[in-house]
Amino acid sequence: MRIHIDGRTVDAREGANILTEADKLHIRIPTLCYHESLSPFGACRLCLVEIKRGRKWESTTACNTEIAPDMTVRTDSPEIRRSRKAAAELLYYKYPGTRKVRDMAEKLGVKVEKTNQDSRECILCGLCVRTCQEIVEVNALRFEDRGPDHPGEPPRIGYLGDSCICCGACAFVCPTGYIRMESVGTDRRMIWERVFEMAACRVCGKKFAPLAQLQYLSRRSDMPLSQAMTCITCREAEVQTVVVDAQDWIAMHKHNHHHQNHQKHPKQK
Amino acid sequence: MKKQHPIEKGNQQKKSLPSRDVFPLMSTWGGKFTDRRKTTALPKNSCPEKLKDLPFNGLMAWHGIVVRKADTDIPSLTYAYLREARKISCGECSVCMIGIDRILEIFRKFIEGDGTRRDLKTIEEIAHEVAVNGKCNFGRSAALVPVADAIRYFKNDFLALIRGDRALVNHGYESAVTAPCSEACPAGLPITAYIEKIKNFQFSESLALIRSKCILPGVVGRACTHPCEAVCVRGKVDEPLAIRLLKRAAADQDLQTGCSPLPLPRLSKKEKVCIIGAGPAGLAAAYHLRLLGYGVTIFDGLPVMGGMAAVGIPDYRLPKEVLLHETNLIKRMGVEVFLNRNIDLLKWEDLKKKGFKALFLAVGAHRGADIGLAGESELVEGFEQGIEFLRSVQDRHSDIKPRKKVFILGGGNVAVDCARSCLRLGFEHVEILYRRSRKEMPALPEEIAEAEKEGVKIRYLTSPVKVHSKWGRIEGLECVKMKLGEPDDSGRRKPIPVTGSNFVLKADMVIAATGQEINTSFLTEKDRKALTRANKIWVDPLTCRTDREGVFAGGDCVTGPATLIEALDMGNRAARSIDAHLQGKPIAAQNVYAGIDTTLQRDNGFLPTKRAVRVNLLPESDRLADFREVEPGFSQSEAMEEARRCLRCYRLMVWEVDKTKQEQPEGRSK
Repeated sequence: MRIHIDGRTVDAREGANILTEADKLHIRIPTLCYHESLSPFGACRLCLVEIKRGRKWESTTACNTEIAPDMTVRTDSPEIRRSRKAAAELLYYKYPGTRKVRDMAEKLGVKVEKTNQDSRECILCGLCVRTCQEIVEVNALRFEDRGPDHPGEPPRIGYLGDSCICCGACAFVCPTGYIRMESVGTDRRMIWERVFEMAACRVCGKKFAPLAQLQYLSRRSDMPLSQAMTCITCREAEVQTVVVDAQDWIAMHKHNHHHQNHQKHPKQK
Repeated sequence: MKKQHPIEKGNQQKKSLPSRDVFPLMSTWGGKFTDRRKTTALPKNSCPEKLKDLPFNGLMAWHGIVVRKADTDIPSLTYAYLREARKISCGECSVCMIGIDRILEIFRKFIEGDGTRRDLKTIEEIAHEVAVNGKCNFGRSAALVPVADAIRYFKNDFLALIRGDRALVNHGYESAVTAPCSEACPAGLPITAYIEKIKNFQFSESLALIRSKCILPGVVGRACTHPCEAVCVRGKVDEPLAIRLLKRAAADQDLQTGCSPLPLPRLSKKEKVCIIGAGPAGLAAAYHLRLLGYGVTIFDGLPVMGGMAAVGIPDYRLPKEVLLHETNLIKRMGVEVFLNRNIDLLKWEDLKKKGFKALFLAVGAHRGADIGLAGESELVEGFEQGIEFLRSVQDRHSDIKPRKKVFILGGGNVAVDCARSCLRLGFEHVEILYRRSRKEMPALPEEIAEAEKEGVKIRYLTSPVKVHSKWGRIEGLECVKMKLGEPDDSGRRKPIPVTGSNFVLKADMVIAATGQEINTSFLTEKDRKALTRANKIWVDPLTCRTDREGVFAGGDCVTGPATLIEALDMGNRAARSIDAHLQGKPIAAQNVYAGIDTTLQRDNGFLPTKRAVRVNLLPESDRLADFREVEPGFSQSEAMEEARRCLRCYRLMVWEVDKTKQEQPEGRSK
């Protein structure tokens, strides 16, 4: 279907949102909470655009507004600039010490005090929660203390340690650096203040991944845990062996029976 | 009418108060400013008439400000409103909660005496930005809307505050929160709150909220008539939320994992309460009374718990293990349940001697009502009452011999349930006869559509007049064609028979599903006189008390055939009332929002559309072999996705209490 952005016409597929379509035209719309792999959330209120309805322009967020046939959009107007600046101003008011917020606010015309400090606050953009729920699918993160049942308490990200697999995806996607994954000694790793044991590679013995993550991988893919417990270097070596094995399978089966049994992948028959 | 009316401290008492009671004195309801301090030619409907019942001086609500007394302290009221609004604002988007925080900080500046005129401008700017850029309806149409009104129309009060001529004072405030969906729900379930929990992956917490008002969540999540969805504000944008299925998702998690048992009573009270009837009303009352620590004993004539939910809703809509699970949870709290106890004659005096301090009658309306058909009263084999037929389907559906042609009389949910059950039993031709047209049919539209898909025929504008029988066995049904006349008391067009249009349908079975009534034969003659009016038990609508001391009643036996959720609501209210009666407390319950249209909100511009999450119903070809459930529930992630569509239409009201009025009604939630 065709839509019009800033006077240019684009062919867009159904179900797409305005933000990605504008991006294709190299129109950069500011955002703090959007990620192309995640469902749009509309939390930061910075990606404002205006849509023409009748004679009126009405503002909406570009990330979670699905396109409709012949939708007419503009991404820049005094109203949009004012509203984006107002939202950035509020974010800056709340998180003055967080560099990411300061940079964005400055870009949108807010007067920002110069400082080198970075307090890396959680700005509740929800990227980590969505990553954990939609990509990793373990639901170890969720929003808590929201709505009328928590009078006075500030909303926050709740952490369910029992479900966490210490994959670090939340730390990777966090825009402010609030979530950090850290090493504890050589054999443990910490995230959200929970410490995870690292598993040793069954071939080379190197501590290479959190045990919880390997257990989850094994559970989700029906791969035996022993198979998951091989580090990437040793697994490459093993794959080469298996290829060789496959080529000379009959011969090797005849001559080297014991060795074969030990190496064979259960799914390769 | 002038745009602005300064309230100046010195002269307001002298000239502004009118001699007679004018309501409202000033109002900004819906964004329209009306002021009646000086004029007598008054515009009507400047705020909901119902607000008159609430004893307040000044009130600030999502839709505007209402002032009853000219000396109301608007800045202080605004401050109180902001602090309540801050509790509701979820913080999901960056403007609403932070905006309120920012304005609260400005108010603290006012308190310290550091405020400037510029601050008022800032407040107005923030209020405007939150209204145009808030993510949900709370931000867009509630959070700061009346705050902007306050600054716009009562600016001089704020200027006086900045000058130091007045101060922010706590005059005593009360508040209440609701949402259009909760208002439409007969039991007033905290719908927005439990949806919020589902959105946040807190299914158990969500279920706990649901159970506070609806103790059969899995049952209601399957079989509710969901009036909440009809008023859902999202419905005006794209489609209403699937509120019923969300409730079911919370309940299903417990059904599958059993991880959310009911709380146990924290203390034990010595008084015992007797409940007649283990249906929704009886169970709701039992749960709440047991939770308060009372000893509870239930008697029921049926072999299972659940009343009409057990014998009136077929398995393909409500699998009975769901009901069994939820009723067993109530039983496990220590409620004594005696089933198969048909009460021939109820004597309250005898029960009192056994130690019961209160009696709750919730016997339901299980008897099919006669429809005044010629030949109806004769015992004709093949002529059945709908509700009795459904019960026999529950009890022993393998014993029912399918016949060729069955006609079902009536247009309600019972008629549709009977028809769809007949198909599943193997009847060849199943046809509903309804005397009005499709538009007036009271059954749920989705149920009618599914029935037709499965093969049920519906003949409209047809009314039965006579049952034809031969040797005690049904042979046919004489009908007459109808036409629609003027609307009657129910608002639907009245059907009028077309003279001379009689015709006979050959029938092997006829099921009359046109209504149910209460069987009062268990009452003594004296009690029947004292307790019933128009063959229903009469109670005080607020307290569920009957005219006899210590006897309460609720559910279908009071209302006539109604919905599950209405029965649950009466059970909830009766429990509160019985507790108040036994403890000698007064009953404080009044919904301050009753009669106020909470679906109203100021225009909030463009909202991104998102279609409802669909569930795939069982294909029609797989349905008719047995009574397996037709509708699946949401998975957890589907439920969370659907919950994210909620627009959070919280409606907040904060009012300065009029201390001269003695009675102070309480809000539903504070």
